[in-house]
Amino acid sequence: MSATHALRPGEAVPGPAPRQHGGVWHVYRAERRKLATQLSTRLLALFCVVGPFAFAGVLKIQTGSPADTLFGVWVHQSGFALSLVVLSFCGAWGFPVLAGVLAGDIFASEDRYGTWKMVLTRSSTRRDLFGGKLLAAMTFSVGLLVLLAVSSLAAGLLLVGDGSVVDLSGRALSPGHSLVLVVVAWLLNVLPMLAFTSLAVLLSIATRNGIVGVVGPALVALVMQLLLLVGSGVWLHLLLASSTFQDWYALFTAHPFFGPLIVACIVSAIWIAACVGGSWLLIRRRDYAGTPVSRRPGWVVPVRVAVGSAALVALLAIASNWGPAGDTAAKLKASLEPTFNNLTLLQQRELGRTVAPGAKLNVLTSCSRRASTPKGPGDWICTLDVFIPQPGAVPFNQTPVTYDVSLQSNGCYKAESPPTFVGQQTMKDADGNQVVNPLFVVYGCFNPL
Amino acid sequence: MRASGLVKRFETTVALDRVDLVVEEGEVRGLLGPNGAGKTTLLRLLFGLVAPDEGEIHLFERPLGAADMINLDGVAGFVEEPTFYPYLPGRVNLELFAELDGGADAGRLDEVLDLVGLAARGGDRVSGYSTGMRQRLGIAAALLRSPKLLLLDEPTSGLDPAGARDMGRLVRRLAGDGTAVLLSSHLIGDLENVCDSFTVLRLGRVVWNGSAQQLRDQAPGSAYRLATSDDARALEIAEQHPGVHATTSPTGELRLAVQGRVDAYVLDLGRADVAVRRLELVVSPLESMFFALTTDVEVDPAALTELIEAALAQT
Repeated sequence: MSATHALRPGEAVPGPAPRQHGGVWHVYRAERRKLATQLSTRLLALFCVVGPFAFAGVLKIQTGSPADTLFGVWVHQSGFALSLVVLSFCGAWGFPVLAGVLAGDIFASEDRYGTWKMVLTRSSTRRDLFGGKLLAAMTFSVGLLVLLAVSSLAAGLLLVGDGSVVDLSGRALSPGHSLVLVVVAWLLNVLPMLAFTSLAVLLSIATRNGIVGVVGPALVALVMQLLLLVGSGVWLHLLLASSTFQDWYALFTAHPFFGPLIVACIVSAIWIAACVGGSWLLIRRRDYAGTPVSRRPGWVVPVRVAVGSAALVALLAIASNWGPAGDTAAKLKASLEPTFNNLTLLQQRELGRTVAPGAKLNVLTSCSRRASTPKGPGDWICTLDVFIPQPGAVPFNQTPVTYDVSLQSNGCYKAESPPTFVGQQTMKDADGNQVVNPLFVVYGCFNPL
Repeated sequence: MRASGLVKRFETTVALDRVDLVVEEGEVRGLLGPNGAGKTTLLRLLFGLVAPDEGEIHLFERPLGAADMINLDGVAGFVEEPTFYPYLPGRVNLELFAELDGGADAGRLDEVLDLVGLAARGGDRVSGYSTGMRQRLGIAAALLRSPKLLLLDEPTSGLDPAGARDMGRLVRRLAGDGTAVLLSSHLIGDLENVCDSFTVLRLGRVVWNGSAQQLRDQAPGSAYRLATSDDARALEIAEQHPGVHATTSPTGELRLAVQGRVDAYVLDLGRADVAVRRLELVVSPLESMFFALTTDVEVDPAALTELIEAALAQT
C-alpha cells in the first residue's frame, strides 16, 4: 500500500462534530440532487422542453393535422390548440410514463444498489426517508408537467401564433380567454399526475423492482384506457385514475360542467392517499437484510401475478356497466346540435357572409349507436337534417348531413362527415387565406353525469 | 450500547437466541463467530434494519424504538460490505449521506477522505472503485458522523495488510477519544491486537464473553509448524515436554501443539544440537480458543493437531 493510500489513524476524527439533525427536508434535498444527476431525468426534462417545439416544427412543414385528438384540427391556426393537443396526448400516455420514469425507481434503486442499510443508518428516520423521497418524486413530476405546459404554450405561440381556439361548443375564444383556460387545463392535471407518481412509488416499494416501478404506471394507464372503452356505466369510469386526466375538457364548453372535474379531483386524492398509505405501511414494517435484492428465477410468481391481473381486469370490465349510462343518444344530440350550429355560423362568418347575432339553424338531429346497445362510448352515427331556406322553395330545402361520431366515456366526441356537404379540411376565407373548415371535424363534450 | 435477550427468527431458523451484549464508552469489543453464527443479524438489529422478535436494545440509555422512529444519532458504521450509488463519485456519495445527517461542510468531507486515503480519488465514480476503496469509503462515511458508537462488520475485509493495520490503529484512536466500538469478524486474527474484549457467537448464541486477557488465559494452546536439522530428534525431545505434542504431517512436516510457552522446548532443541530452521505460529492462543468455542472439537493438545490442519487448509 502506498503512503497516499494509507489510512491515517493518527489524524482520526479531526474537525468539529457534524450536525446530526436529519429530517424530511434534508432527505428531500439529497433525493432532489440524486434525481437531478440521473441521465433519465435530464433526458425527460430535455424532451419536455424540445418535444413541443419539435412537434410544432413538424406540423409547420406539413398540411396534415392530428385530427383524432380533440382540438387537433386547429393546430395550424391556434398555438393554444397545439398546447391542448400536447396536453391530451400527455393525459393518455405521457404523464403515466413521466411518473413511472421519475418515481418508479426512486425506492427500488436502494434495493438494487443495496444502499438501504447505508441510508437507514444515518440520522434520518424511515419516516423522514419516505417523506423526503416521495416529496422529491412529486416535485420533479410537477416540475416536468409545468415544463411541458410552458414549452407547449411557447412553441404554439411562437411557431403557430395566438389565433383563436375554437372550443368544444363551436365558439371561437379570444386569445386572453384561451390562455386562461389552457393554463387552468394544465393545472387540473397536477393532481392526476401526482396520483400516477404515487402509484409508481407504490409499485417501486411493493415489488422492489425498478422495472416494474417504471413500466407499471404506463401499463396500468393502458389497461385503464381499454376499460374506458368498454361498458356504459359511469361509476367505474369515473374511478379510474386515467379518466381524471380528461376532465378538463369541460372547461371548453359553452356551459362548463364541474361535476366530473370535482369527482376527478376527489378520485385523484383517493388514489394518492391509497398509494402513499400503502407504500408507507410497507416501508415501516419491512426488514432490511442489507444485501441487494436477488430473485430466484421461476414461473410461479409471474404466473400468479398474470392470472390475478387478468382476473382483476375481467372483473373491472364487468363492473364497467355499473351505474347510469353516461353516454346516451339524447345527450349526444343535445350537444351536437348547438355545436354544429355554432360551427356553421363560424364558417359563414369566415366566408364573409353576414350572420345575425343569435342566428340559429333549423336542424333536426337523430343519433344511434352502431352496436346493439344504444348507450355507451364507441361509434355512433348522427344525422342532422338541415332545413335551409331557398328562394321560392316551399317547404324549405331539407339537407341531411351524416356524421360518424367517435364518442368517449367522458362525453367528449369527434364527429366527421364526408366532404360532399361540409367541404374539405381547409377552405379560403373572405380574404383569400387558407383556413380550417370548421365543419370538417366537429369536436364536442357533454356532461356524462 | 446494551442489548438484552435478543431473539430473531427467520422462518424456522433461529438466527439469534437470547443474546446479551454490552459495549461501554471507550471499549473496543470484538464480535466473533464463524459464518452463520449470527453476527451480521445482530448488527442489523443494532442498526434497526431488522426488528427483533424478542429483547431490547438501548443506545446511549435510550431504547432503539419502533422501526419508523429509529434515531441513530451518534451511531455509525456499516453491515456487511458498505454500499454506494455507483453512478456517483465517492465524494458526492459522502455528501448525500452527510445530507441525511443534516449536512457537512466541505472541509469535513475533505478531512475524512484524506483520512482514509481517498482524497485523490474522491471525484471518481464509485463504480470504478476496488473492494478495498469501497471499504475505505464506508469507513469515511461512518467517520463523517463523529460517532459515539461505531459498529463495523468485517472492517478489514478487502483491505491489504497495511490497510488492516491502519484500520486497527484508527479504531484504537477512536476508542481513546471515548468512542465505543463493536467490530465483527469471523477471523480472530483481524481483531486480536485491536479489541479489549470479545463476544463469541455460535449458532446464534453467545458462547463466550469477556476480556481479551481472559480469553488468552483460557486458551487451550497454540500450534506451530517446525522445520529443523533433525526432525526425528526433535520428535524425541518433544516427548520429554508434557505441554508439547509433536506430530509429522503426511508431507513430512513437523507440527507442534503447545500448551503454555514453547520456549523451553526450543532451548532444548538447541542444547541437543538440533538447529531450528523455521518456527511458524499457525494457530495463536486466541485462535485456538476461538476454534474451541466455535467447533465441536474438544481442544486438548492432541486436538490442536486437527486445528493445525484446519488452519493450514485455510492458508
